[in-house]
Amino acid sequence: MSLVVRRTLLTIAVTLLMFLVIAPFYWIFTSSVKLPPEVIASPPTLFPQSFTTQHYDNLLGGSLFLSYMGNSLIVALGTMIITVILSTLAAYGLYRLRFPGRRLLFRVILITYAFPGVLLLIPLYGLLTDVGIIDTLWALIVVDVTLAAPFATWMLQAFFRTIPMELEEAAALDGATRLGVITRILLPLAAPGVASIAIFAFITSWTEYMFASVLIISDASRTLPVGLAGIIGQYQIDWGLLMAGATMTTLPVLLLFALVGRNFVEGLTAGAVK
Amino acid sequence: MSASITQPRRRGVGTPRWLGYAFVLPLMLWLAATILIPLVQSVALSFQNVRVIGTPGEFVGFANYTRLFASERFWEAFGRSLIWVLGNAVLQTVLAFAAALILKQSFPGHRVARIWIILSWIVPTVVVVIIWRWLLSASGGIINYALVALGITPEPIGFFSTGDGAFASVIAINSWRWFPFQAVILLAALQRIPGELYEAASVDGASTLQKFFNITLPGLQSVLFVMGLIGTLMSFNIFDVIWLLTQGGPSAATTTLPVLIYDTGFRQFRLSQAAAISVVTGVFLLLFALVFMRFAAPPSDDGEEGRI
Repeated sequence: MSLVVRRTLLTIAVTLLMFLVIAPFYWIFTSSVKLPPEVIASPPTLFPQSFTTQHYDNLLGGSLFLSYMGNSLIVALGTMIITVILSTLAAYGLYRLRFPGRRLLFRVILITYAFPGVLLLIPLYGLLTDVGIIDTLWALIVVDVTLAAPFATWMLQAFFRTIPMELEEAAALDGATRLGVITRILLPLAAPGVASIAIFAFITSWTEYMFASVLIISDASRTLPVGLAGIIGQYQIDWGLLMAGATMTTLPVLLLFALVGRNFVEGLTAGAVK
Repeated sequence: MSASITQPRRRGVGTPRWLGYAFVLPLMLWLAATILIPLVQSVALSFQNVRVIGTPGEFVGFANYTRLFASERFWEAFGRSLIWVLGNAVLQTVLAFAAALILKQSFPGHRVARIWIILSWIVPTVVVVIIWRWLLSASGGIINYALVALGITPEPIGFFSTGDGAFASVIAINSWRWFPFQAVILLAALQRIPGELYEAASVDGASTLQKFFNITLPGLQSVLFVMGLIGTLMSFNIFDVIWLLTQGGPSAATTTLPVLIYDTGFRQFRLSQAAAISVVTGVFLLLFALVFMRFAAPPSDDGEEGRI
């Protein structure tokens, strides 16, 4: 195959692939700023011929969208902090220390994904009611950590495994305490991994729908996915409004990803290959 | 101290055994409280006749289970769940391999592409659902417009109006959401396979297929193992994308087991019955996981540990 043919085929393949992933997002972003008649115009307009912020005005003025977003942020940040602490501790124990049964423990952690979330939904509802945090954002933080932490622990293995044991040993011989070894040597070296699991936990929480739809009862405590799903049903399908909602829900993750996407993908994949 | 210096690789530096457990303990306690206790309660619930959350029930033995195994709805949902897992696995694997092989090449912007490909995975399911309902809408959706304009179909297709159509659409949409995630992981694994292996094989006259089976697949084994295990479990348990797109309809055509559990427990208010379905599902998945780990686990490479 000549170089030119190869180049052309590759260009077509790349274009198709990126089109498949990106084009739908382009379509909702542009639809969200079109005037209502243009949104449903036939033939569709690839480039917006009109510009309006009315869908966003309706969204922000006519629903609790901003408080949904605030709630989602709180839950995602809380999930992120707790997941990072629990998973980092566990990964340190599992991958830096040797003790009988750790392999079994590790498998037990991953096996947690075998149980249908729906299965846990029913008793968790009762449990969280007993503890007194049902219908609060804490309930969601508790659940989201459970969803994120096992995989996050697995992601960290690559980072902890690649740091030579000799570093720790040398520091210990020089009189560093275990805590000193962890905070001054291990954590800085594993920082990219810790950042990756932080983002993973954030995204897991940001996108969670099922638990949030059952464990939260009052409208004011809803998170974005549930709030947005409520807007779908609440109005006769108003596509402009939904496009605005979808766009506003995507933006924060886009922003986060523009800042740290590279680290995240590297961290995600490091776990898979090392 | 001296004892541990003689065998530092075994347990790190001067490490008492309990220290390892101490580090893992917080996570284990957390998971026990949020998974183990609810699990036990689910099993207990499945032997009672509780209907609505929070109301008391009586012990009814295996009644929920016998009803379950005699129920056509259950077996149909079970079969659909298998199709769901299989359909998603095939579609996602094909797309992910194709995407990974494309992204592995170097072209202008390949660094950016390798990151942003994952976009569909980082947005909430609700957004995915809104996007595709809009794209596939029978009135005003751009895909139907294109199909009609190109003369592929005389009039707009109601993608969610027939059972098979709805199920296929939901599988396709879920695959669209997940394949980039798998592509990114596959790509990283592909990049780790030393290029010299392929060169040496070429020198020895190996065909492309031989290279794939003797170099690529073995090189991907540990990744495929974890993806196969966790991917299958996660995929089986997916609820939100189906519920938000079709609520299990039309006429139960997209009701997989998780949807059936939710519908039984929170729509029909037969909580104990739902718990029984959950327990059966959980046991099935657990057996699958154990068998999978037993037979598909890659050989460990450091003598003691597998990658998992």
